[in-house]
This record gives sequence, C-alpha cells and structure tokens, in this order.
Amino acid sequence: MTDRGSTLPPPHMRDDEFPSEGQTAPAEHDPLLADLPRRVFVRHLTFLGGGVVLLESCKDDKKPDAGPPAPLKQPVPTISHKSFTDPEWATLVAVIDRFLPKDEDPGGVELGVPDYIDRMLQDPTMQQMKTNFPTGLAALDRRAQRMFQKNFASCTAAQQDELLTIFKNSGEKTGEARWYEMLVVLSLEGYLGDPNYGGNKDGAGWKTVGFELVGRNLKGDPKSPYDGSQRLHQLVCGGGKGC
Amino acid sequence: MAKDSVDVCIIGSGAGGAPLALELGKAGFKVVVLEKGAWYQKEDFVHDEILNSRRNFFMPLPWDEPHLWRVEGQPYTRTNEAWTANCVGGGTVHMSGYFYRLKPVDFRMKTEVGAPKGSNVVDWPITYKELEPFYDQAEAELGVSGNAVPHPFLEPRKGNYPLPPLAHAPVAEAVEGAARSLGWHAIPTARGIISAPYRGRDACVYCTLCGSYGCEHGAKSSTGASLIPAAIATGNVELRPKCMATQITVDDKGNARSVLYLDGDGVTQEQPAKIIVSSCTAVESARLLLNSTSSRFPRGLGNDNGLVGKNLLFSSFGQSKATFSVSKRGTELPWLTSTAPFVNRSLQDFYVMPDDRFGFRKGGTLGFMWAHPNPIFAAVGLARKGEKGIFGKALKDKLREYKDSKILEFEIYGEFLSNDQTYVSVEPTVKDKFGLPAAAITIKRHPMDFVMTKFLVERGEEVLQQLKPDRVDRVGTAGETTILQGGTCRFGKDPATSVLDPDCRSHQVKNLYVVDGSFLPTSGGVPLTLTIAANSFRVASKLIARLKGGGK
Repeated sequence: MTDRGSTLPPPHMRDDEFPSEGQTAPAEHDPLLADLPRRVFVRHLTFLGGGVVLLESCKDDKKPDAGPPAPLKQPVPTISHKSFTDPEWATLVAVIDRFLPKDEDPGGVELGVPDYIDRMLQDPTMQQMKTNFPTGLAALDRRAQRMFQKNFASCTAAQQDELLTIFKNSGEKTGEARWYEMLVVLSLEGYLGDPNYGGNKDGAGWKTVGFELVGRNLKGDPKSPYDGSQRLHQLVCGGGKGC
Repeated sequence: MAKDSVDVCIIGSGAGGAPLALELGKAGFKVVVLEKGAWYQKEDFVHDEILNSRRNFFMPLPWDEPHLWRVEGQPYTRTNEAWTANCVGGGTVHMSGYFYRLKPVDFRMKTEVGAPKGSNVVDWPITYKELEPFYDQAEAELGVSGNAVPHPFLEPRKGNYPLPPLAHAPVAEAVEGAARSLGWHAIPTARGIISAPYRGRDACVYCTLCGSYGCEHGAKSSTGASLIPAAIATGNVELRPKCMATQITVDDKGNARSVLYLDGDGVTQEQPAKIIVSSCTAVESARLLLNSTSSRFPRGLGNDNGLVGKNLLFSSFGQSKATFSVSKRGTELPWLTSTAPFVNRSLQDFYVMPDDRFGFRKGGTLGFMWAHPNPIFAAVGLARKGEKGIFGKALKDKLREYKDSKILEFEIYGEFLSNDQTYVSVEPTVKDKFGLPAAAITIKRHPMDFVMTKFLVERGEEVLQQLKPDRVDRVGTAGETTILQGGTCRFGKDPATSVLDPDCRSHQVKNLYVVDGSFLPTSGGVPLTLTIAANSFRVASKLIARLKGGGK
C-alpha cells in the first residue's frame, strides 16, 4: 500500500527540513548554473529522486524563464556518445570514478554508469535533463580550471573529491547542489538499475547490495530480450500513437 | 459523435469502479468502464525498479499531469503526489494489499469519542453493521488471505478470511513476543494477496517485490486480476483503457447525460448513459465534478452547496526503522537469516484511547514489515545530499553495510482529521496535457494528528527496541500518505452538509454517483482500499435494486 520502495507516492514528511523559498544563489556560485530554469530542475529531480521536496510554486511559474544558459561550446555529439561531447564524456567518466570508485566491489565506470547516463538522457522523458546535466559537467570543469588550472579529469583524486564536495555542499537552492542531486540519482540508477539500460553490467551492482536474489523476475527472463527503454518510450508516447 | 447509450458509465477501474462494474454486469446491465491508463497484462509486470518506481509506468509525469500542492498559506508546488495509479485496476495494481476493515467506532466517531475542536468530524450515515456483509463480499471476490484472531479491537465478523494467511517470516514470532511483553497484541495482517490458488488465479510465490510493482503471477488481488476479468466475462461490461474523462455533461433537467472523454488517439468521444459513476479517486473525482461546469451547475456538477472537494482526507503517517547486522547478530537472532518476505503483523492496541490523557482519543494501526528491497531507492537514501551527503568509498561502505543489514520497520495508518483548510480545488491557470485545469490540493494538518502519530511511533519504537536492534532510526511522525485518500464528496443524510446521499448518489444530480474514497467522512485508522471496495459492493446492491425497481 505505501511501501516506500516506490519513489512515486512518498508521504510528505514534515519532520525533515521543509525549506522555504526566496534564497538566491550566492555570488560565488557558477552564474551559468544559477541561471538554469529552476522549476524544470526541481521537477525532474523530484520525479527521479523521489522524496525530494518540491519547491516550485505557481507564482514562480508565471515569472519569465531565465532561458537556457548560453552553451560554452557547441555541443558536437560524437558517434560513441549520444548525449555528451568528448570533453564532457571525459569529465563524466572522471566524476563517476570518484562517486562510485572501484574497490573490493566494482566501480561505477566498469559497470557502465556513464553509458547508462548517456543512454537515459536520450529518453523522451529526460529532455530537459539532457541540457541540464552536461551544463553541470561544464561548470565542474570551469571550477576545476579556476581552482587547479586544469580540467576536472586531469585533477588528482583529492582535488576531484574537493570539487565534488563543493558542489554537494553548495546549498540547496544552487544549481551546483541541484546538479549534484541529479548526479546521485542518475549514478545510482545506473549502478543498481536493470542491466538492460546499459549500466549495472551483469547485475554486479545488485550483488554489492544483496539484491541479486530478487533480480528481474522470478518467472525467468522474458522470451525476447527485455528492453525497458522501449517501454518507457511507449508509455511517454501513448503506445506509439502520436509520437 | 456520441456512442450508443448504455445503462451505466463508470469512470475508473480501481477499488471503487470495479466492484460496481462486476455486480452491474452480473445483474444484466450494460456497462462501459472508462479508464485513463493502459491495460497492463501479467507479462508487463517486470521487476524493473526504473520502469515501475522511477518513471511513469503507474504515475503520470508531473509536468504532463501535475497535481498542485500547498500547505495552507504557502504557494503551490507542482507534484505527482496524490495520484494513485493510472492503469486498469488503478492503485490496487501496485498496492501492498494491506486489507484491514474499519471498526464500528469509525462509523460513529463523533458520538463515541467526540469531534476535536477545529475538525469536521461527523458520524457516518451508515453503520458498520450495514457495511459488514459487503466486507465479506469484497474479501471473497477480491481474494484476501488472513487469520482473524481475538484482540481488543477485533471488528465483528461472521467468519475467518476466504484464504489462509500467507506464510510469514520467522521474525513475526519475535514481533509477537515483543508486543506481548509490553502487554499488546501483534495480530496477523490480512493481505489482498492469495495464499493458495483461488478462482483460477495462481498463488503468491513470495517474490519479495510486492508493493510498488504489478504482480506477474496475478496473485495480488488487484481489481485487474480479480474483478475486472470477471466483469468482462459477464458479457455486459466493456472496458475502454486509455480513455481520459474530461467532463460529465447534463441535460436541460439537470440530470447527468454523458461523459465526454479523450480516447487513446486523443479524439473526443461522448458516452451517454442512464447512470454515471465517477470512481477515479477522491482527488480526481472532485476535479472531474469541479471541471464539469454548466449553466445549471456553474460551480461544478452537484456542487450547489460548494462542498465538492472539501474535507479531503489522507492517512496520518509515521515510521521508524530498526537495523540489524546479519553477520554480527544472525546466530543470536536466527530469524535474521530468513529471506521470507512477509512480516504481516499489526498493532491495533491504540486504535481508540480510553481517555484523552495523551492528547487524543482516536489513533490507528501500526503495520510491521521488512524495508522495501528496491535498491536504487535505498542507495539514494544512503547517499543523501548537502552536508550530510556522502560519495566515493564512504558510499560504497554504506552500500556494503546495507547488504549485511535487515531492516525491520513499521508504518502508521492513523486517523487524519478533516478540517476547513484541507481540500481539493481546481486551478484554471495550470492545465494538464489534455488542457484541463489541474487538481489543486491545500492542506493544513490538525495538530492532534501529530500528537497521535508521535504517540503511535513511540509505541512502535518500544516494540522494535524489545528486539535489541543495532539501532532504531525515526523516519518521522508528521507525514501523510497521499496514496490513501478520501473525503471530497462526503456522504450524509443532509443535502446542506454533504455531497452524496447515504447510497453515494449526488443529492442534486439523481443519476450521478461517486464511488471511490470520496464518500468517506472520516479516514479511519487503517488503509482504505478494502473499505472502498466493500462500499462499492454496497452501492451496487442499492443501485441494482433501484434500477430493477425502475425507480428513482
């Protein structure tokens, strides 16, 4: 009835912080991120993250959007990556390697977390995130340049951790923190989601949390290879009609 | 162009709509059921957390079909809260199926324990006794497994459940012992899941992914697995999935004439019917009536007194979790090593308090269960965010600790006091993808709800502590479970103070019924699904008698 396994019907919990509106991003935060249309950010995060308290208000809805930030460079998707340029991809791989590093259990990169994110951002439900997520990667690189005079991927592990921590701790109204939340959600979906989406290779992520016994379906795999992306797409487009 | 008229058009195929469809079909009436969602089959139900729990398999996308939500006095937020599920079977498809009955006191709360100041608590226009036979019928038709044992708040019932209880995890005995040592009663939780083959359906295989998922075996007693196939088999019921009702029209006498809806191709259709039934959840039924304006009903259909949408109810929620390390405690506590999924134990010792020394009289139920195994959900919770957030090795360590843990938790289903500041309206400036004004929820919790929930959470924690866990974490004591919803079209005898009559027929529109959680004047202290289904069977018996009598 109310199993919290679903992120979708979570109860409101007012014991947890119920942040109020009105803060603006402090000046030291990346202006391009701060300018991201907040409402879209929050909506997507709430939906995908679950339990994230929604802040967007109707009043804000009526405000004109700041509009998408000007891209720093022309995004030129390569053949190998659908949602990222090569420099963005390099940053993403480096980020995932710090977020879910390889130790006695598999790391996020070897389980295909970047591939999951690359593929999932192509889904019609994720169109806004497709813009927002690479924008955050670019901001991370700019911050790395400012602090360490090199790209994130070229920084030492300690420097990378410091940069990620800055984004994580930026304060919940900031674009940095929102991007970090998106990173948490997408990375863990890629590490622990169904392998058909490109991450969690061979269900190895499930083994790290003891979920492999439950796995996909006790009735055995469907006769044809399971393709969740197809289903997500069908749902969004009403079963193929009108898309 | 209008379709051929039918006897009854029902909007929604969940716990409210499906029993009516079945009974009307069996009685020979021609019925059309409009369901906004898809008609999933067993093979569509896959253990894919991303598909089921993190995208729009069950719930609409909040930017496609928003619900607006505000705490009274604050701005609205856009959310997918208070949707149940958009599919044939509605919320019964992904429910956990905790099938409790209400107690006689729930029908007479004002008389027996009084209406707290600032609340709109009233007695129901019917008694438990009038609903009791329909609880029997709902349990038999849906398939409920359980074992009714004596306890201080056992509701009157003729016999035991139609199916024996599901096999429980060994921890259930430990929970029973813990409750007993405190002088309380951990009673078996009845489930809308069949423990043995039943009416052509396969029994539960104990797969552990129950709530939040559809059942690929059909063992969960969703209306999609039970009542809907039976209704269609009568030959009198046509189910139309992917059909979104947009308006109920009226004729020049002010009777309901037809349902306008958008079919799967987005084309507007019109289904005329002699009787029209709205069964699309308390929030969405209120929205449909409020959006069905006409010169006769400028404030919304059947809303001359302005009460449609008022007295919205959810279920008061609180929760705590006890964590045990399996590697460290497994020898001492052998029940930790079992992988059996169902704890299925409940505490109802605080359903009604004998006096108000703790600040409340009407309490609720504690349901004990293992934490849901969804790994992404768990991991996102462990990673947290902001200053408390962790990543890297710290996060990997937490994931390993999680793997070695068993988490026993309870959740509260507590009385939710209705009041003037908690209601559904429609917001003309915010439209869904169909162009319809969105439902807007305003909420102001009665302070007594929080006092009560905190008390229940503290008692639940005392039970958990008896089991000597590594730690107990309180999730919270001031929540509401929006998937459990009622009110908005209160039933009652007085047309001035209620929307529906005791048969759930509109006081003002004599061929309009609302049959979901909307009729509920009070929330009760249990999940509402079984009660919504039982009431639908009750309404069906009244409606069939009326139709057969040719009467009004």
